[in-house]
Amino acid sequence: MGHGHHHHDHDHSHDAGGAGDVPPALDLSVPDSELSPSDVSRRGFLRSAGLLGAGAAASVLATPSAAAAAGLPHSHGPAGGGTAKGGFRWLAGDHHIHTQHSSDGLYRVIDQAGHGRAFGLDWVVITDHGSNAHAKIGVEKVNPDILATRKELPDLLTFQGLEWNIPAAEHATVFVHPGRHEVAVLKQFEQTFDGSQLPATNTNEQNEAQAIAGIKFLGEQVRRRKVEGALFLANHPARRGIDSPHEIRNWRDADPTIAIGMEGAPGHQAAGIPAPNGRGGARGFYDNNPSAASFQGYPLETYRTWGGFDWMTATVGGLWDSLLSEGRAWWVTVNSDSHVNYLDQSDRGPGSDFEANGRYNDPVYTGKVNTGAGDFWPGFYGRTNVGSTSFSYKAVMDGLRAGRVWVDHGRLIKSLDARVRVAGDRRAATGTPLGGVLHVRRGTATELTLEIDLQDVPNWAQFVPVLSRVDVIVGSVTGPVAERDTFTAPNTKVVKSYEVSPGARKLSVTYQLGRLDKPFYLRLRGTDGKRTQPGLMGAAVDPAGPKLDVIGDADPWGDLWFYTNPIWVLPR
Amino acid sequence: MTTHRSAAAATTPAAAAPALADLAGLPVHGISLEHSDTVAAEHWLASLSPAPVLAFTHLVRMPRPHVALSLVFAGTTPDFAGTAPTDLGNAPSGLGAAPMGLSSECAEAVAEHRARSSGRAVLYPGVELLVGTLSVAEVLELSAIEKVEILGGGPADPATLIDTGDFVRPQWRSGVLTLITTPAAGGRLVPFETRHPTPCCAAH
Repeated sequence: MGHGHHHHDHDHSHDAGGAGDVPPALDLSVPDSELSPSDVSRRGFLRSAGLLGAGAAASVLATPSAAAAAGLPHSHGPAGGGTAKGGFRWLAGDHHIHTQHSSDGLYRVIDQAGHGRAFGLDWVVITDHGSNAHAKIGVEKVNPDILATRKELPDLLTFQGLEWNIPAAEHATVFVHPGRHEVAVLKQFEQTFDGSQLPATNTNEQNEAQAIAGIKFLGEQVRRRKVEGALFLANHPARRGIDSPHEIRNWRDADPTIAIGMEGAPGHQAAGIPAPNGRGGARGFYDNNPSAASFQGYPLETYRTWGGFDWMTATVGGLWDSLLSEGRAWWVTVNSDSHVNYLDQSDRGPGSDFEANGRYNDPVYTGKVNTGAGDFWPGFYGRTNVGSTSFSYKAVMDGLRAGRVWVDHGRLIKSLDARVRVAGDRRAATGTPLGGVLHVRRGTATELTLEIDLQDVPNWAQFVPVLSRVDVIVGSVTGPVAERDTFTAPNTKVVKSYEVSPGARKLSVTYQLGRLDKPFYLRLRGTDGKRTQPGLMGAAVDPAGPKLDVIGDADPWGDLWFYTNPIWVLPR
Repeated sequence: MTTHRSAAAATTPAAAAPALADLAGLPVHGISLEHSDTVAAEHWLASLSPAPVLAFTHLVRMPRPHVALSLVFAGTTPDFAGTAPTDLGNAPSGLGAAPMGLSSECAEAVAEHRARSSGRAVLYPGVELLVGTLSVAEVLELSAIEKVEILGGGPADPATLIDTGDFVRPQWRSGVLTLITTPAAGGRLVPFETRHPTPCCAAH
């Protein structure tokens, strides 16, 4: 059982208000004249860094209490701990899976969950599409199947969720902690806030407001103890260019304990396998072009995948980094989006009436191999690895909310332990993990310690993936942006790359981050090195970034990457 | 499968390189019928007689996201300027009718067209010749397209082959009519925009 990395003796609960938790320098109700000289200096520094003041309220990094409200650990100096791999049990999962309760789905809950478990997942979220049929029937009918799956597969955490048609935008995973009200909350949410349930005459502004209201509704259900937790993650965010930067910021700010991130890579990763053995389409089904609903500021590069990842995440100095450099905690995940799986031999049950029954009849074996499907089974290709304090629903949700998450495709690496430390402090129980914030005095030297166990067992394509290179990506934290449609981070770039020696079993490196001058964050990325090109912000920013995926010829197993979530280092 | 040069072979060099400049003096009409997407807008466009020599789609976000058009006619202009939107062309039911409150005149589309700042070309000189597989050089020679680029990778090599899919929709980019392409199977290029992109909730 892992040991939490930030056990303090004060109250961290979300509704505690946390007023007493705010150090004087950060508490703007305390005038400068009442501060100690060192706190005055500290406050000035934070203010000049954009981390304090009116605009900074949107940043979870502005105050420790805000950080705690967002589920962010706020380490008091080098905190962290436990024994192995940061003291966390890394649980692999997938928060985007469809079943026969989706109009474009096929499988039973147990089909998806059983494969996911067999392919090594610890947790799954069932996310059937919001729709008329689902809102009225499916959202209830799926629940007994989920309860039965929990009983049948006790080693798998099976969450109930749904795939929300975000008003005015793309889809999102919404899911809740299991409990007596899990169906009631999801059903009320879907009937009130799903895009399919709103009037077509709504203006863009009305729809955007409804999206924000939906996220706030979920937060309210948690505060009222209807459910123990609820999370929102934007799915395939760049696919059609309709998730504008300001909408993403608005979702997050609506309730940072609910809206925590987005898919760093979409599902449907088999869709680019060349014909005739595969569909011969676009990896991730990312083959769209701008529509009238798209954010017109996005370049065409937005609409394609890069090394299998969504443009928002794949671009160093791009949209994701623009959020991180503001101090907005926003995490990335990887999922299957499984509807119909590549090389499967089943089809929808005959005689189905989806609209009337809210589900298709159980699938039937056909004997025919489906080479045209674009999806992999959950766990077969991508996984979202969550640093959890125990094997439980709550621990997975807490780990996701805290951003203790790294993701990979094709099991590129076996395990990863990245921490930022005060330089020289190598105690096993110290170090700020992924998603965390290390607060140190200005001038304090910090360093990244990274240990990766390289893969030594085959993946589900029967080969042992070989990690070729790891990149350290660093960006300044410059505070909230004035223009909420900003999607670039000019100060973020690859600062160091490590080549992995052939035949190595482990990569163990320390990277000196220097004496703290300006607040910054770092994140990590690794690749099998098979397909790279200079990044979209130029070779000086990212000399060997992910390459544009080829339509009709994108072998997902020949182009593997991992990404971690960030760690921030801020002045105390 | 179409063979390479199937279209180009039938074309004499004299007929090639139609220039946008030749059309520069003609009036530009901006039309907004609140088509929900480019497919609907192109469907309406196909019903116009005579057909325009230049037709661009423009994406308009307010008050609701929709697609507008900018049109240039070589000779006679169909008598639609100033008429009610429902009288336009032979619009199929549901496509031609504009909801109340939205003018059929679209100054925004005209402005984008004149400034060459944005817009996606559906009809332009030479578009009918862009079928089958053509080299980048041929696309430039046969049509009004002025530049071919690879997404995220700069200008395309003139010798590289493009599988046009018989669907070529270049766009204004900094005043230049540019076809953006992406790498495709077989070392070829395909236009960025495909005729049938994956719908949002396809039964895939």
